[in-house]
Amino acid sequence: MSTLALTIRESIRYRGRSGHWSWVAHRISGLAILLFLTIHVWDTANAYFYPHIYAWTIDIFKWPPVAVGEIPLMAAVLYHAINGIRITVLDFKPEWWKHQKRSTQVSWGLFLLVFVPIGIFMFVTMIEHWQSMGDAWMAFPRLADYPPIN
Amino acid sequence: MATANVTGMTHRKVQVQSNFQRWAFLFMRVSGLALLILAVGHMMIQHVLNSSSNLSIQFVAAQWNSWGWKVFDMLLLAFALTHGMNGFRNVLEDYIHNPQTVKIVNTVLAIFTIITVLWAGYAIARFNSTPFMGN
Repeated sequence: MSTLALTIRESIRYRGRSGHWSWVAHRISGLAILLFLTIHVWDTANAYFYPHIYAWTIDIFKWPPVAVGEIPLMAAVLYHAINGIRITVLDFKPEWWKHQKRSTQVSWGLFLLVFVPIGIFMFVTMIEHWQSMGDAWMAFPRLADYPPIN
Repeated sequence: MATANVTGMTHRKVQVQSNFQRWAFLFMRVSGLALLILAVGHMMIQHVLNSSSNLSIQFVAAQWNSWGWKVFDMLLLAFALTHGMNGFRNVLEDYIHNPQTVKIVNTVLAIFTIITVLWAGYAIARFNSTPFMGN
């Protein structure tokens, strides 16, 4: 297995122009989504298996340092989705490969168009929620405060 | 696959063997298409139309009170996890060169994926909303 540092350095080294950056962004967003997804799935299963643990972990997800991660997660999903459409279309349309550079620009443009308003909306909603919580907004939830349900 | 006549490009018809890699390639495109609705829809519904700050077990119970949402979430679970894990396999195969190690990694990923889908799928199917409703 290549060393991690070498892998990261070589992945970032500029080689394939715009298509290369799309490749890097697709890969990083995919891995980031998968990491969250795995945690999220095992956590959500607790709603059935251990409801009080689930009630506690929901509040950890709402704890501000974790909650802000929701915005980059949204960005990752949107970019991965839009760039995924681009990849799939080009896979089946080799005659469009000459527009590859333009296609990456369109993907980034569409992504910004969709993500920026949504990101701002999510951020404002989040701030309003924290303001409504008063002094407790930064308090880390303690498991002891979540007694077993039933 | 492509037969279009394009200037500046040489086209050759190739018979693509239907092996595992070919199916994995097609699966990524098909599941990706499904996830455009399932995953992007999930993000819009749960994170934009609803806010995460309202999330509670009562909220989950209200949604999982209908089989429609249970089926939506089970499809999302199955497609997202298999799509993601197959992508992870692709990434790892770029960096792991020993075929024996690749085989072990793939087996571990496959087992983990199956266990996760079964565990979470069972939880969604069996979830009973009644105790959480009406408070």
